[in-house]
Parts: sequence; structure tokens; C-alpha cells
Amino acid sequence: MTTTENGTTKQQAEQVPVAVRPRALAWRRRRASVARFWRQYRTHRAGLFGLGALLLFALLALTAPLLVGSDVDNVTDAPGGPLEEPSAEFPFGTDRFGRNLLGLVIWGARVSLLVGLLAAVLSVAIGTLIGVTAGHFKGWYATVMMRITDWFLVMPTLVLAIALATVMPRSLLTIIVAIGVTTWPTTARLVRAQTLAVETRPYIERARALGGGHWHIMSRHVLPNVMPLVLAQTTLIISAAILAEATLAFLGLSDPSVVSWGALLQDAREAGAVSSGHWWYLVPPGVAIAVVALAFTLCGRAVEQVLNPRLGVSR
Amino acid sequence: MDTNDRYGDQRRTGRSPGRFRLVAAAGAAALTLTAGLATPLNPAPEQARAADDGKKVLTVAVAQSVDSLSPFLAVRLLSTSIHRLTYEYLTNYDPKDNHVIPGLATKWESSPDKLTWTYTIRSNSKWSDGKQATAEDAAWTFNKMMTDEGAATANGSFVGNFEKVTAPSPTKLVIKLKKPQATMTALDVPIVPKHVWEKVDDFSKFNNDKDFPIVGNGPFILTDYKPDSYVRLKSNKDFWRGAPKFDELVFRYYKDQDAAVSALRKGEVSFVAGSPSLTPAQAASLKGEKNIHVNDAPGRRFYALATNPGAKAKNGEKMGDGHPSLLDQRVRNALFKAVDRKAIIDKVFQGHAVEGAGYIPPRFSQYFWKPSPDQELTYDPEEAARMLDQAGLKKNADGRRVGKDGKPVNYRVLCHATDPNDKAIGKYLQEWWGKLGIGVTLKCLDNVTDPWLAGEYDLAFDGWSVNPDPDFVLSIHTCAALPATPKDTGATDNFICDKKYDELYAEQLAEYDPTKRADIVKQMESRLYDLGYMNVMAYPNAVEAYRTDQIKSITTMPAKAGNIYGQDGYWSWWSAVPADSGDSSDDSSSAGVVIGIVAGVVVLAGLGVFLAMRRRATADDRE
Repeated sequence: MTTTENGTTKQQAEQVPVAVRPRALAWRRRRASVARFWRQYRTHRAGLFGLGALLLFALLALTAPLLVGSDVDNVTDAPGGPLEEPSAEFPFGTDRFGRNLLGLVIWGARVSLLVGLLAAVLSVAIGTLIGVTAGHFKGWYATVMMRITDWFLVMPTLVLAIALATVMPRSLLTIIVAIGVTTWPTTARLVRAQTLAVETRPYIERARALGGGHWHIMSRHVLPNVMPLVLAQTTLIISAAILAEATLAFLGLSDPSVVSWGALLQDAREAGAVSSGHWWYLVPPGVAIAVVALAFTLCGRAVEQVLNPRLGVSR
Repeated sequence: MDTNDRYGDQRRTGRSPGRFRLVAAAGAAALTLTAGLATPLNPAPEQARAADDGKKVLTVAVAQSVDSLSPFLAVRLLSTSIHRLTYEYLTNYDPKDNHVIPGLATKWESSPDKLTWTYTIRSNSKWSDGKQATAEDAAWTFNKMMTDEGAATANGSFVGNFEKVTAPSPTKLVIKLKKPQATMTALDVPIVPKHVWEKVDDFSKFNNDKDFPIVGNGPFILTDYKPDSYVRLKSNKDFWRGAPKFDELVFRYYKDQDAAVSALRKGEVSFVAGSPSLTPAQAASLKGEKNIHVNDAPGRRFYALATNPGAKAKNGEKMGDGHPSLLDQRVRNALFKAVDRKAIIDKVFQGHAVEGAGYIPPRFSQYFWKPSPDQELTYDPEEAARMLDQAGLKKNADGRRVGKDGKPVNYRVLCHATDPNDKAIGKYLQEWWGKLGIGVTLKCLDNVTDPWLAGEYDLAFDGWSVNPDPDFVLSIHTCAALPATPKDTGATDNFICDKKYDELYAEQLAEYDPTKRADIVKQMESRLYDLGYMNVMAYPNAVEAYRTDQIKSITTMPAKAGNIYGQDGYWSWWSAVPADSGDSSDDSSSAGVVIGIVAGVVVLAGLGVFLAMRRRATADDRE
């Protein structure tokens, strides 16, 4: 929204002295806005912390096959005894099968992050589609869509997700779908509001007068303008999705043979780790979930404040 | 609790600005959680216990829901245990060694042809509403089960062979049989009061849970029940064997086992059995605890891997979709040869179980059977691979075995989502069989009954509690137990129907000589073992714990190394002696809790400092 507007003014300013080819111009403009975005983002210390934590976890998840090896979740060749305390060999101790918990937490990051990302992308994609079309077409279509959105909005998300995960076969895809189809309504509402705001601007009318169809207007003018909002929303939803994945896995609704942080917590509960004082079984996955969710939230908030200066008054 | 105060203090000094309040709250919550869950912040466990009116209450933590309080419908362990406590059976089992002893009947004799049994009913047993319990009540109970399908739901197998039951006098009960039946002194059927139950219309729907107290003549009387909340019983002062020592017995629900263990630590409950038992970690941590006794005894349960034998109904119609390759005995035996029973005992049960052999657990020594050395399916993965090769399941280019249909073999294993052992062993199966080139999909469900009854599984985790008389657990593998049509529900466990097994079953049921009968039962176990449809992996121990400052003594069954919860009889709760409410200072605080609290405080303090610095920073920025 604001970025492109600023971009347009600059572009007009630059256009006078030198005649540049449109594509190069567009690239230059994009580079400039990315640089400006980063300059502003840099001033948010919490955002930087979140970004750092995220990069660290992403690096761990990507290099997990090298760091711990894919046989870390192997129960038959588990290296230690069941529920060993943290030691030099096993910095986080071992789980009830005698597996190395540090390795499992690193390995679990892959699933938790993957599910979080995919579920958030699914959720935001649904939300954006419905938001943009509802905002653009208005009329009875918008009414119907928004009532459906309202219906999903008032449904308790977790209950709906549990119901979905129960009736569908137990797999990662189920969890992704269950989270994706239950968390989109807020995005849809936000995007619709933004679409309505964008569509009142004069250049949309101009585009329409020049013969731009529905598809052209939505994809070329509305979408780029709501994109920043969508991005910020995605980052925020990822943290919610990671928490939801952990919750569902903890409730035993995930694929039991997949290692994720939530599943580790569920394992710990089943082994009776809470009442027997085996804190090292619970703390690492719990802290990992908290840190990653916090990191995504911090990033999301920072992005939101950069893109929407009105939010950033306190800063 | 005092942690709340600490939390409040932290908040006052910390004064977290907006978005960090959440983190602070999370830290505090973690602290509360550690403290609250893992235990004795309030050091004095409540005593057993003289409530204000001086009543001694015994509280037992349970997790299993009651399926029905009607003795004609109930099959679950908790419900049948409650019926043991509230109704008398004709006979009972001695707590020392399981031999049959008098219950409602004081003595019994059979005619020379063993087809007419005469029981003498005791004259000193009264229903809780004051009426005398007579042979007429017993005759009515059996007749109802013989004539009303709904009343035969739970215990119908006992009366299937009855011709006629009469009560010629209040103290004399006569049962006429069609064929000899070995279980005549082990009729595990609660006798109900006729004058109360004859008013019931539909036995298949009546759950006996509306009118309290429920009229009974056992050592306890059921006074109150709220589903999944509590079951309350008071002692029957007029019980003929003598009144229980506790005034009240309460089964209180803790759906989470960790919560139940914490409640035991705090003294809120006197006894925890766990479902099905305490985990090894919980048992180990409770063992070190003062005033808590952990009872680790050989259980009466077997834990098996059932294989779908191509489920069929009695009318011959096929049911479900079991994998065709499992119909080959070599495949079934090969699969079991690749299961390392020793690893299951060591790793999953961590020693709280005995390695599986025959169908009936070693605790019932007269029926316990072990495969001979050349019959035994020892752990041998290489041999298993050879057997699979012979059975025609060859490996393809990816190293996966392919069935006759040319598709890679992948078995669905039905597992109880509520049983941690199922999931843990499932993980091992995936790896053991994966090495053989066979895929395993674990289907862990809260309700396994639907796919199970429909025969829609390849393998399944299975287990039954065995009674001193093994008739019931043997009967569930006969052809007679199959459902009549695919639409019906049968008593069958795993759709097994084997002619030789059925012949042996009929033979043992008609055999009155205990040694000869035991011999036939062992032959049945051998047959079952060879068939490979019921592969017993382990006999899990009963691992349970109780507070010694609330229960002074309690009877285990059998006396030597026996269990307390779920006995065949009312012995444990009837015999439990309350402890004197002496002082029991509890200064033991487990290291984990201390560490947890310290960590929580450190986190919160650190956060406070960080926030204070941050406030300064933002203030500077603003200027």
C-alpha cells in the first residue's frame, strides 16, 4: 500500500531527467523499497532478535540430516538407556526409548517449522482469495462469503481443528489442512477491508475506464497493494500454526511415527515425565516451541510496524 | 497456593509493558506449573481421614469410564469390580491362592451325572433395604438371563448350557444342565434382588444409575455416582463376612495419569492403579517417596498381537479387508519371529512385565503353558526373512516385499491411542518389520471398536484380564463366538474359528477333573500358539501405589505377589485397614521441583532486569 504509493511518486520524479526502460525502472524501484524496508526494520530491536532466532532454527532444521542424522528417531538402535539425565554425551538427556533428546529436538524442528509454514501459507491463501474477491465483487457474493467467514470466525478454532483431525486419517497433511482451514477468517476480513480501501482510489477507476477487467484489477492493482499486509499476517499466523501443531500433536492427533515438538511433549506425558520429575523430557521441546512462536510474532509485529507507520507511534 | 503470591510480587516489581507481559506471564505460569504438578508445596498431606464427622474415607484414583452399573450389561474392569463390591456371587475366590470358596452359597453338590447342581444359599445375607437375600433371587437372576436376550449381554456365556433353574426353598437353589459344564463353581454372575429388578422393562437399556442408594448385599453399598466424576460407596455394616474397616470408598476420576500421581503425592487420594498401570518412570519416582508403597506384582493380563484371520461371520460371509498374505501361517510366524520380546520387556515395560509365551499368564500356574523348544518362535530376524521368501513374499528393487497382487506389503496395525505401550511397541514393529521389507501403518484410535468389529485391520494390539477360571478368555476364540451375520456383533475377540480348537474347547468345558481339564486347556494354548493368530508378547505387571499413612494394610491377591486393583473378589477394599492419623511431617521435596522453582524465579528475575533496562532505553529513545 504505502510503499507502492511512495514508489510511484519517486518514479515520477525520476522519470523527468532520464528516460529509463520500464522493467529496469521497476527493478530499481523494488530494490529501493527493499532497502528502505530493511533500514526501518533494522530499528526494531525485537524484530531483529526474532529474525536471528528464526534464522538459527531454520539453519538447524535444514542441516539436521548432517548434524544428527536421520536415524535419530530410531528406537531399536537407541544409544542410551531410558530417561537418562542430561550428561556430556546427551546434553538434553534421553527419552523413554533411550534416544538422544537434543537430536530429537533438532529433528523435530523440521516437522514443526514445515507444518507451521505450510499451514500458514494455506490459511493465508484461502483468506486472501476470499478477502480480495469479496472486497472486489461486493453484492450478494460478498455477503455470502462474509457470512461464511463469520461462521468460521465464531467457531472455536481448536475444537474445529480437533474435530477435523479426528475424522481424517492421522498424518501430517491432515494437521496442515486442519490448521489451514480453521485459521483463515481473520486474514479474509483484513484483506477485504484493505481491498475496499484500495478500490476507492482514483487509479483503480482510471484502470477500469481504460478497460481493465476484474482479473486485471484484482491481480495487477489490488493484490500488490494488499500483499504487504498479507506478508505480515503470514508471519503472525505461522506462530499460531506452530502452536496449533504442537497442541494437536500433544493431544495425540498427529501421526504417531513422526517426531515433532508437540509429539515429544505427548511422549513425555505418556511416559509420566511430569509427575516423576523428568523435567529434561519436557523443557527442551517446550522452550523450542515458545522461542520459535515468539520469534515469528516479533518478526510479524516488526514488519507490521514498518509497513503501517500508524502502528509505530510508540516507537 | 503460595506460588500465586510470588507471581503477584513479580508482576508488581517487573511492571511489564504491553507485549512482554505475555512472556512474563508464561514464565510465571511455568513456575506455577512445576510447583503445582510436581508436588508437595503444601507439605502436610491430608490424613485418611477423619472428615469432620470422623468418617474414614478411602479414595481411589481411576480413569476408566463406567460402561453401565447394571450387572447384566457391564463388562469393563471398573464396573465389574464395583459389582463385586455391591452384590454377592454364588461363589468367590480365596485371596491367598484363587481356590473357590463360599459366597452367597455356603456349599454345593452335584448329582452323579454332573447335570444337576444343588447350592445351599446362606441365610445371613440381607439386602440393604432390609429384605432377606434368598435362593429365589438367584433363581430369578439366572432365569432372566436365560429368557431375556438383553439380560444375557454381559454374562450370557455362563447360562447358555442351563436347562432349568429353580428355588425349591429360600436356602436351596437347583440348576439343571443340558451338558456337563466345568465352570459351575465359578459362575461369575452378580445375584440381584428380585423385588427391585422385576420392575425393570428393558434390560438392554436399564443402567441402574437413577435410584440411589442401589439395593445390594455386598461389603459396600453404592450411594452416589456421577459419570466420569466419582463413584461413592458406603460400607455395609451388616455384611455377613464382617463390615469393611473404612466407612466410605470413593472412586474418583483422574483422566490424566500424571494428575492422579500428583494427587497421591499430595494425599488427595489413597490409591492409584494407573490405566493400565503406572509408567516405569512414575513407579521409580514413587518408590523413593516417604509414606508411599509401590506394589509391583505379576498381572492377570496378557498383551498380544492379534492377526486378522480373514474375518468371517457364522453364515460364512466374508467381513472386513484383512491382508490376504496373513492367511499364510509362515507369514504370521515369520512376523512374530521378528518381534524381540526381550527388548519389549527391557525397553518398553522396563522390567515391569514377563516375557510372553502361552495364552494364559504364569500367575495361573495350573493353566500356564510354555511352547516346547522346537515349537517356540524364538527371535530370529534372518530366519524370519527366509520364511517370508519361502511364503512367496519376495523383495522388489526397492527392498520392499511384494504380495501376490504385485503391490508392496504394508500392514495396518490397530492401536489404542490411550495406551502408551501400544504406540511405543508400534514404533519398534515399524523398525523390526521395516528391516524385513514390510511396511507398517500404525492406526492409533481412541475408539478401535468400530474397525475391529468390522474386521478392517491386519494386525491389532490385544489384551484381556484372565479370571481364575479361564473359560471366558478361551471361549472368545471359538467359532460359536463369531457374529451371526456381518451386521451382528459376536463375542469373538479376533474372528478365530478353528475346528481342532473348538473340539478341545468343548472337551475342557465338560471335564470336571481339574488336572485333566488343565491338560486340555494347555493343548488349546498350544494350538493357538501354532496358529499364530494370537501372539502373546508379554504379561504386564500390575504396577500400583498407595499411601501408607492412609492405608495401614491391604490384601493382595494372590497373597504372595498379588495385585490390589481389579481383583477377582472384593478382598482389597473390604480388608483395607485405615492408618492412625498420626503426624507425618513431609519434608521430602524432590530435586526436580526445587530446580524448577529456582529456574522459574531466575527467568522471572532476569526478565524483570531486562524490562527495567528496556524501559530506560525506550525512555531515552523517546527524548
